[in-house]
Amino acid sequence: MRLAPLRFATGGRGLAARARDHFDWVLFLTGSILAVIGVINLYSATSVSRAALSEVYIQQVYWLVLGGILGAVVAAVDYRHFERFGYVLYGVGIITLLLVFVLGKDIRGSSRWISIGAFGFQPSEFMKLFLVIALAKYLHDDPKSEGRTIKDLVVPSVIAGVPMTLILLQPDLGTALILGLIFVSICLLTRIEPRTLIGIVVSAAVAFPLVWSYVLKDYQKKRITDFLNPEANILGSGWHAHHARIAIGNGQWTGQGFMKGTQNQYLFLPDQHSDFPFAVFAEDWGFLGCLVLVGVYGFLVLWSLRIAQSAKDRFGAVLAVGVGALLFWHAFFNLGMVVGILPVVGVTLPLFSAGGSSVVTVMLGLGLLMNVSMRRY
Amino acid sequence: MKNLLPERAKWIKIRMGLLCGIMALGLGGFVTSAYRVQVEDNAEWRTTAENQRQRRLHIEPKRGTIYDRNGTQLAVSVEVPSVSVDAVEMIRGVEKKEAQDAVLKDAAVRVAAALHLDATEVHGKLAQKRRFLWLKRRVSGDEAQAIRDLGDPKKTPVPVRGLAIEGEGKRYYPSRELAGTVLGFVAPDGFGKDGLELAMDEELRGKVEEVKGLRDRNGRLIFSEGTTDESALAGHNVHLSIDEGIQHVVERELDAAGRTYETKGASLVVMDPNTGEILAMAASPGYNPNDYGEFEADSRRDRAVTDRFEPGSVMKVFTVAAALAAGTLKPTDQIFCENGTYQLANVTIHDTHNNGWLNPTQVLAKSSNIGALKIALALGEPALYSAFRRFGFGEPTGLPLPGEAAGVLRPKGRPWFEVETANASFGQGISVTTVQLAVAMSAIANGGRLLEPVLVRKVTDARGNVVRENAPRVRREVVPAHVAKTVAEMLTAVAEDGGTGVEAALTGYRVAGKTATAQKVDGKTGKYSEDKYTASFVGFVPADRPRLVIAVVFDEPMIGRYGGDLAGPVFRRVAQSSLRYLGVMPSAQNVKLSKVKEDADAHAAGALGDAGAPVAAKPKDTLAAPPTPGPVGPPLPANVKVPELIGLPAKEAVRAVGAAGLVPEIEGTGKLVKQNPSPGSQVPKGSSIRLVFEPSS
Repeated sequence: MRLAPLRFATGGRGLAARARDHFDWVLFLTGSILAVIGVINLYSATSVSRAALSEVYIQQVYWLVLGGILGAVVAAVDYRHFERFGYVLYGVGIITLLLVFVLGKDIRGSSRWISIGAFGFQPSEFMKLFLVIALAKYLHDDPKSEGRTIKDLVVPSVIAGVPMTLILLQPDLGTALILGLIFVSICLLTRIEPRTLIGIVVSAAVAFPLVWSYVLKDYQKKRITDFLNPEANILGSGWHAHHARIAIGNGQWTGQGFMKGTQNQYLFLPDQHSDFPFAVFAEDWGFLGCLVLVGVYGFLVLWSLRIAQSAKDRFGAVLAVGVGALLFWHAFFNLGMVVGILPVVGVTLPLFSAGGSSVVTVMLGLGLLMNVSMRRY
Repeated sequence: MKNLLPERAKWIKIRMGLLCGIMALGLGGFVTSAYRVQVEDNAEWRTTAENQRQRRLHIEPKRGTIYDRNGTQLAVSVEVPSVSVDAVEMIRGVEKKEAQDAVLKDAAVRVAAALHLDATEVHGKLAQKRRFLWLKRRVSGDEAQAIRDLGDPKKTPVPVRGLAIEGEGKRYYPSRELAGTVLGFVAPDGFGKDGLELAMDEELRGKVEEVKGLRDRNGRLIFSEGTTDESALAGHNVHLSIDEGIQHVVERELDAAGRTYETKGASLVVMDPNTGEILAMAASPGYNPNDYGEFEADSRRDRAVTDRFEPGSVMKVFTVAAALAAGTLKPTDQIFCENGTYQLANVTIHDTHNNGWLNPTQVLAKSSNIGALKIALALGEPALYSAFRRFGFGEPTGLPLPGEAAGVLRPKGRPWFEVETANASFGQGISVTTVQLAVAMSAIANGGRLLEPVLVRKVTDARGNVVRENAPRVRREVVPAHVAKTVAEMLTAVAEDGGTGVEAALTGYRVAGKTATAQKVDGKTGKYSEDKYTASFVGFVPADRPRLVIAVVFDEPMIGRYGGDLAGPVFRRVAQSSLRYLGVMPSAQNVKLSKVKEDADAHAAGALGDAGAPVAAKPKDTLAAPPTPGPVGPPLPANVKVPELIGLPAKEAVRAVGAAGLVPEIEGTGKLVKQNPSPGSQVPKGSSIRLVFEPSS
């Protein structure tokens, strides 16, 4: 399939007209609501913190603006150009991941960051999007209608496997897990031979103990055992989850009120701005607030699947599913670890957790969704 | 994806559904779990949350202040910073054991340097990994700043976490030695250890149970809604009946006299006979509760309540009062005093003077033992004993002070034998305390009512609400009012010419009182010692409308022995300063003093009058000296030369003044820098010399 040379507009109609007619207001509003709630929640989370943290919500606004601009650019460029450069982008992602090992900054025992001047960014965050694009390109270029066998899955597995391995080596279990789950979610949508499916499930069952023994680091294992027995090591590695749960439980039905969550206000909540902003939200707004928040996330994911369904081509559909999966698994893992049904693996909550790389990645993802949605006609 | 074959579209839809199902399952799991934590088990989690905030409750409520009767602060608590550590917070986020140890070791060295502590000791504390431990209590401002810098990421590249500074109360006594023995002191753990601080410790300290205070992870105090006022937890304030002004005079006089006479100890109580309020209470040697560790336990004792002694002749007052009340004695009776020697059973009793026939007034004025015992034997043992009990002897007065002695009347718990009754009538073989004497004398002064002594006038909470108030309370009527009046009138003779207490007399006011010079029992021989005495004077002034009862007791003076000579002048000076302080006007008709005495007092007052007290308000200057009534007046004091004192150390200067027959009035501490009058000038014997000391720097 040959494409016209790179252009920002298609046909005679201008970008502005297309934007006006096909703009996905639902997607835009849902994303905006999440972003606004997220910033307000960060304000509450850091309102009593020391000077270093009290500016976090402002920085978050800056990142949202930057992310929004980049997302708008991504939405404006026809996504088929991403298809064309899909593998190039993927390659860039892999190279930056390799650079981490050379230039990485060590934070709490793992190096995930590359510094550029005053800023640091996490290549693993952006890698999620590059993986989605690469998988979409592969599936788009190989439009099989019959069920895929193990042979057909080798290439996509390698595409997902390489960045996963690199990220596991950082080591960052959470992000590697998210990459794997995005890959699995996309595969679920393609047709796979029943025998192959069984084979995969069985070999996964066999692989688990091997991974446990040889791949996982001690602290990662500890997180999992802590998760299985949450109250056993409250002062050690189960500390974060325990404090988060106290705050959530303290929220009860309707919450303590905005900026009144006592556990957070009295500084008992650790990492309340990065990995545990939901605990602040749950303490401030209670169970009802949680239901609303989960509803918004659920709606956003369902909307991205709807975009996939109405996409013009396979690349767009896989792209939308991939971004939807990214949002879902991030939200699910973060919420799950905060309420204690999943181990603490350091996964951010989209648009809630403070952090430039995370915010920009999510905004770029939403830009891709908007792109697919706008070009469904 | 649009534009698909219907068959494929169907499968796509199914797989989409499957994906949605998995996601719904996940979110469902989350919602269920959130429901369990937030709704089902919420009480449990909330309790955990509250416990977390409350469990490290190290609230030391602010200790109450002790005020004198005019609101001057005698004991206050000031917030002094203390440093604590949360060792778990210090190593939070560090996973490896070795890394944790390294962090703690590094922190220990830096913290130890900042607080001037031993690094290994600090490391030992940190290694316990406790959530709360004091590192150093009561740190200086510099140390607190050093700790703050250690935790500040802007000041140091690797901040130490988990350090907290909070205020702890340190007790401070602004007036130093003033009323030190009454106040007591507070140990670093916040508990009162002596005096009022011990006796009223619970009220002063405040109640922790009432607290609904919360602390955050940094140890800051936060309050749950409703109680936003820290004063709710603070200790109660204690308002004493002590008057700082009078207390100051008393301590100065007692100190000077104690040094002049080289006493082992001394105590003095000033009481308002109309209310029972104690206006001053002092013991010598006293101490400075700010540095209580530098004084021996002996000087911290409040001798006025803890020390019992054989009172001697002062008991004759109560013997006479009891006999008058019982009707076995009339004021006009004549008692034969056997010319100074009397044989009772196998004991010979002596008087200091060989008296013949005396009336009761003279028995008191000349302090005749034989007269007193004859009055007592006529009264009978049971009546004398019960009268002493009714005057409050033999039981504690109930002051809120630790270690109050009851005194002993019947030593073996059985009625006195005849000789013992005779001895008791003039204060031998029984023991009392200075406070008991003041209380009993108050009953004579106020018309026969025994009052409950009051040291604490009221207790208020931190907001100023009165918790309780001690109004004057009459315990009982000891003797009828007319008897008390008669005895009071008799006692004025003591301080008049011919009495034993002329030294206590002061210009412009009539003094009633009684001297006592009691031999002490020698601990080794069990017999009365020849050279150890208790010299005292207990009296009140003005005699007709008493405002002050003053009890002065000297224990084992080395120089002089007689209560009249030693305690009398102290009584006079304390009474004079206190009456002027209280604004009690002298009445001209009571001036019965010789001219020389006036001069001596004028000198004393002149020296005192530096602070601006109106010395000129003395009517006696305008009056010619009245003729001396009898030939038995005190010998005229000879003039002495004021010695050169400047530059001498305090002890020697005071000794030199005493040796010259003068009375030192001391100001400040350290080296003598000023004396008044100047060396070489001629002054009457017994005049005061003002000595100003300054610490040599």
